[in-house]
Amino acid sequence: MAQKLYRKPLQKLEQQGVLQVTALVDRHASHAGSLHTFFPHAVVYEDLRRALEGGQSDLSLILSPTQLHAEQSVLALRYNNHVLCEKPMAVSVAQCDEVISAANEMGRVLAVGMIRRFFPAFAHLRELVVSGELGEIHSFSYREGKVFDWDVKTLAGFTRHPEGGSGLFFDIGPHALDYLIWLFGVPEVISYADDALVGGVEGNVVMELTSPVSPGSVQLSWDSPLRNELRVIGSAGEAVLRIDESDRLALSKSAGFKEVAIDHAYPADLHQPARQRMSPRLYTESLYCQLIQVARAIQLGEPPAVSGEEAKECVRVIESARRRARPIDMPWLDCDEQEAYQALHWTKA
Amino acid sequence: MIGTITIVGAAGFVGRRLVESLVLDDRTDVRAVVRAHRSLAGLARLGPAVSVWLADAEDRASLVPALQGSSVVVNLTNGPPAGIMPSTRSILEACVAADVPRLIHISSAVVYDEVLSPTLDDDSPPLTQHWMPYAKAKASAEIWLREQLAVVPCQIAVLRPGFVWGVRSPHTMSVINSLLEKRAYLIRDGQGVFNSIYIDNLVACIRTCIDHPDDVRGFYNVADREFVTWRDFYSALAEPLGYDMSQMPSVSGDRFPWSVRAALEYVQLLPVMNDLYYWLRGRLPDRVKSRMKKLLLGRYEYGREVTSYVTQPTVDREVWHLQKVVHKLPTTKFAGKFGFTPPLTFEEGIRRTVHWLAFLGSVPSPTTVLTQHE
Repeated sequence: MAQKLYRKPLQKLEQQGVLQVTALVDRHASHAGSLHTFFPHAVVYEDLRRALEGGQSDLSLILSPTQLHAEQSVLALRYNNHVLCEKPMAVSVAQCDEVISAANEMGRVLAVGMIRRFFPAFAHLRELVVSGELGEIHSFSYREGKVFDWDVKTLAGFTRHPEGGSGLFFDIGPHALDYLIWLFGVPEVISYADDALVGGVEGNVVMELTSPVSPGSVQLSWDSPLRNELRVIGSAGEAVLRIDESDRLALSKSAGFKEVAIDHAYPADLHQPARQRMSPRLYTESLYCQLIQVARAIQLGEPPAVSGEEAKECVRVIESARRRARPIDMPWLDCDEQEAYQALHWTKA
Repeated sequence: MIGTITIVGAAGFVGRRLVESLVLDDRTDVRAVVRAHRSLAGLARLGPAVSVWLADAEDRASLVPALQGSSVVVNLTNGPPAGIMPSTRSILEACVAADVPRLIHISSAVVYDEVLSPTLDDDSPPLTQHWMPYAKAKASAEIWLREQLAVVPCQIAVLRPGFVWGVRSPHTMSVINSLLEKRAYLIRDGQGVFNSIYIDNLVACIRTCIDHPDDVRGFYNVADREFVTWRDFYSALAEPLGYDMSQMPSVSGDRFPWSVRAALEYVQLLPVMNDLYYWLRGRLPDRVKSRMKKLLLGRYEYGREVTSYVTQPTVDREVWHLQKVVHKLPTTKFAGKFGFTPPLTFEEGIRRTVHWLAFLGSVPSPTTVLTQHE
């Protein structure tokens, strides 16, 4: 992840003198080695504690597999580092509390990486919802799915861990839920179903939610193409947000949909108020804005885009959903296959 | 046959369904061989019943340990045409090196193009001159495998399905999207033969070959039992998808109607374009690449339902040829050898596909559709 997404924004921030990458940590030093080419002044470590003991860093970026997020975040905070932790912050609410406590005790910034908050169209839709331009919200449906093609380097996300943290729901789920929470408030989970057998991790998820604003549904998939969109239906209009694009949003108020011109911009420097702003069009540009926001939180005392408390709500919804888990109905299977699938579903273990 | 069943290329849609079918049948001796970690996303839900190996199908050395101890290997690799012959060769050679007694290789009926002769049978030579690189590569692989049939100790069974349709089929999704977006068309009014097999019928064929107690070597056409035209297929999906078949444009089959998009797609198939793509990808600024991608993807339909029908459709060259198939390939050889009848009817395949479409949300009103088909 660091190599694919964070390298370019970090290089740019180094060039601008905003930060300097001082340490690269990976259990396999060879993985960090390829990144080292771009950050030759950084020291490569195979152990986070040793890197922190070096005492060179002020900010730790936790980009490791989900199961390690809480433990590594707490460790970094205890070593007096500010932390930007990739989503989700932890695999349980209890773990979230530990991280938040550590941040509070140490007086450090705890930010959670929810990159989509830095997608201009996503922010624009929120403005439409909050301003009441769509009227009273009647319903929403969120669909995100395609055949998984992320170039992952480990099996961590595909291996079931008793405490959670792997599978589709911990991968895309936090993105979807954090955004829906940002739009509509913390929802109650009405139903949750997935397709994982005992010892496996889900490749499909369907949920029904009731948010403080309206009821809605979420469908996620790692193995089937879905219409990647969030559709919000209000009394004064309907909006469709393209989930797979950072800058595509359409609005229908009477006849037909029209794409909205997106110009939402984020601070792009450390001045107060910002002298430069950016409307990102690329994933790496959104990451750049997210990193700038973390730097502003540290330097200017601004709140991070997503605090630990906010990110905890997302984990709370995930926990709540998993408690309600049942198998997805698959009427396209043979009858005996359906029976076997129901019997082998992880909830029967 | 008892022992480990190893599926090379298990992450494709046929592979995933085959593995799922075996696991749900309580087979715990299933091994999935895939090229990259990411390929496991579609299999990870099945848990530890499937053991996983990472290996490159074009690299014999990495395959041999992955195939060791297998009683049967199924080749379901589905990469770019340039990789078909090398992977076919390395998989068979690895089977021989690992003493695997049986290899089931999945070819394609596209090696007979439009099936112009009624006398084509399972052992007719494939066409070596074909406009489509994929078909040419599949034909070359078949020719090479036929040469190996009597030479290698491993039993080679080559299955030759036509259009594999149904749940999770990318080809079926293309048809469904064309109907949903009202840009579908039929060549010669859809009277061409839908030389096809429902995914579960193909999986049943493969499993029959896996479990057969006797020597299975040979080449076999496999297909659904019914005679179905392309019009039949589109019509069966049209109703649940809200498509009015009376609006369906018919395109002449006499001469391919070239368009800018068809020309672009043809150019993309040229091997040199692959190199050019990677050359450009490394040099173009990210914002330019992003804009180009959006342009190529075309207009997005935001409405819940498209109401206007395309009358002058943009024709895909592969679809144009597929819809001009003249004869149904015989499947009597497979039926006779294995005593096999495809378990699912065309109607049942459609019913299952529509259930899946309802799950995906492609069918506007799932409840209505489920009621209609139950």
